[in-house]
Amino acid sequence: MSAGPDIDDEDGDGILAAEVALGVLTGPEAAAAAAREASDPVFAAEVAQWRERLAPLADDIAPVTPPPDVLRRVELRLFGPETATAPAPWALLDRLRGLVFGALAGAVAVAVLAVGLTLVLAPAPPPERRAEIAATDGSLLLNVRLESGAVRVERLAGAAPPGRVLQLWLVADGSSPVSLGVLPETQVARLDLPAGLRLPTGALLAVSEEPPGGSPTGLPTGAVLAGGAITEG
Amino acid sequence: MTTRQDIEALIGRVALGDRAAFRALYAATSAKLHGVCLRVLHNEAEAQDVVQDVYVKVWRAADRYAVNGLSPMTWLITIARNAAIDRLRARPREAAAELPEDAPAPGPSPEASAVAASEARALAGCLDELDPVRAEAVRGAYLEGLTYDDLAARHGVPLNTMRTWLRRSLMRLKECLTR
Repeated sequence: MSAGPDIDDEDGDGILAAEVALGVLTGPEAAAAAAREASDPVFAAEVAQWRERLAPLADDIAPVTPPPDVLRRVELRLFGPETATAPAPWALLDRLRGLVFGALAGAVAVAVLAVGLTLVLAPAPPPERRAEIAATDGSLLLNVRLESGAVRVERLAGAAPPGRVLQLWLVADGSSPVSLGVLPETQVARLDLPAGLRLPTGALLAVSEEPPGGSPTGLPTGAVLAGGAITEG
Repeated sequence: MTTRQDIEALIGRVALGDRAAFRALYAATSAKLHGVCLRVLHNEAEAQDVVQDVYVKVWRAADRYAVNGLSPMTWLITIARNAAIDRLRARPREAAAELPEDAPAPGPSPEASAVAASEARALAGCLDELDPVRAEAVRGAYLEGLTYDDLAARHGVPLNTMRTWLRRSLMRLKECLTR
C-alpha cells in the first residue's frame, strides 16, 4: 500500500483525504476511509477542503434538465400522494399553452396566404426561424429571430410593468421552462444562448414579468404575459 | 440567476421542512445535478433514478449542511457525484466497458460568481502545470468515477505506479493552489 517514503511521511492524511474526495479508493480501504470521515471531524474537514479544491472540475459538466416527472416522484417518495397534483410552475405552463394556441391558429391562416402570394411573385426566401410572441389582448408584442447561437428580440408593443423586468423562456415539449435571459429596456436586444441549447421549431417561447434581475428560482415566478411558437419561414 | 447565497438560504429553509423552498432548490439545481449523474453514468434511465435518490438525500440531510464546511453547490454536487459513482460501481463488470454516449457540450453552471470563476481559473492553471497524462487521470477520476484500478488499466501501468502518480499530482495541485 505504501507508494514511497517521501509521500506517506509528509502528509499521509492529506493524501488520504484527497483520495476520498476524488473517489479513487475501493474495497476495505475505501470503507475505512469513509468510516474515518464520518467519525473524525479533523479528517472530515480535510476531505471537505479537497472537495472544494476539486469542485471547479464540475464546471464543465453541462446542466441537463430532467423530465418533469422526476420531481413528482421525489415528492411522492418524501411526502406521499397528496402532493401528486401539478405544482405551481406547471400551472403557468398550462396557461402559456392556452395563450399560444390562439396565436398559432392565426399564424396558420397567414402562412397559407403568404405561400400563395410568394409562388406567384418571387422565389421563396431561405426559411428563417422566428417567433412572434404576443399577448392575447395586444398589450405586449415581440418579434424574435433565431440566429446562430443567439436570439434577436424586438419589442414592438408594450413593456415590463413598473419595477419589474421581462424574462424570456424556452418551453420545449416535456421539459421545464429554460430561461433565455432577462430582456433589457432597449427596444432591440440580442441574447446569447447557452452552448448546446436547441430551440426546436414548434417549441414555445414565453415572456413573464419577474423581479429585477429575473426569477430567483430558475422557473417563472411572475405572470406569463405572452407566448409564441417557433416557426420556420 | 440563483446566487450562492440564494441556494444556501434555500437549503436552510429545506432543513426546516419548507417544501416550497425544496421545490425552488430543485428548480435551481436539478439540471446541474442531473447533468453530473449523466456524465458519470452515461445512461438516461439510471441518471433519472439516481437524481431522484439525490434529492431525497438532500431533503433528509439539509439540516446537516451548515456544519459540513462545503459551499452549497459543492455540497449538492458531492451528493450527486457520490450517488452516481455508487450506482456506477454497482454495475456488473462487463457493463462498465460500454462506450459512453456523446457527452453534452459544456454549459453555464447555476452560479457564475466572481469567486467561482477565479477558483476555476486557479485549478485549470494548476492542472496545466501537471504532466498532461497525470492531469487527465485526475479529471478521469473526478468526471468518470474511475478507481485506481480503472486508471491503472486505462493508462497501462501497474497499480502502484498509478497510486504514486496520482498522489504526487494531488500534492502538487495542493501546493500550487495554496501558493
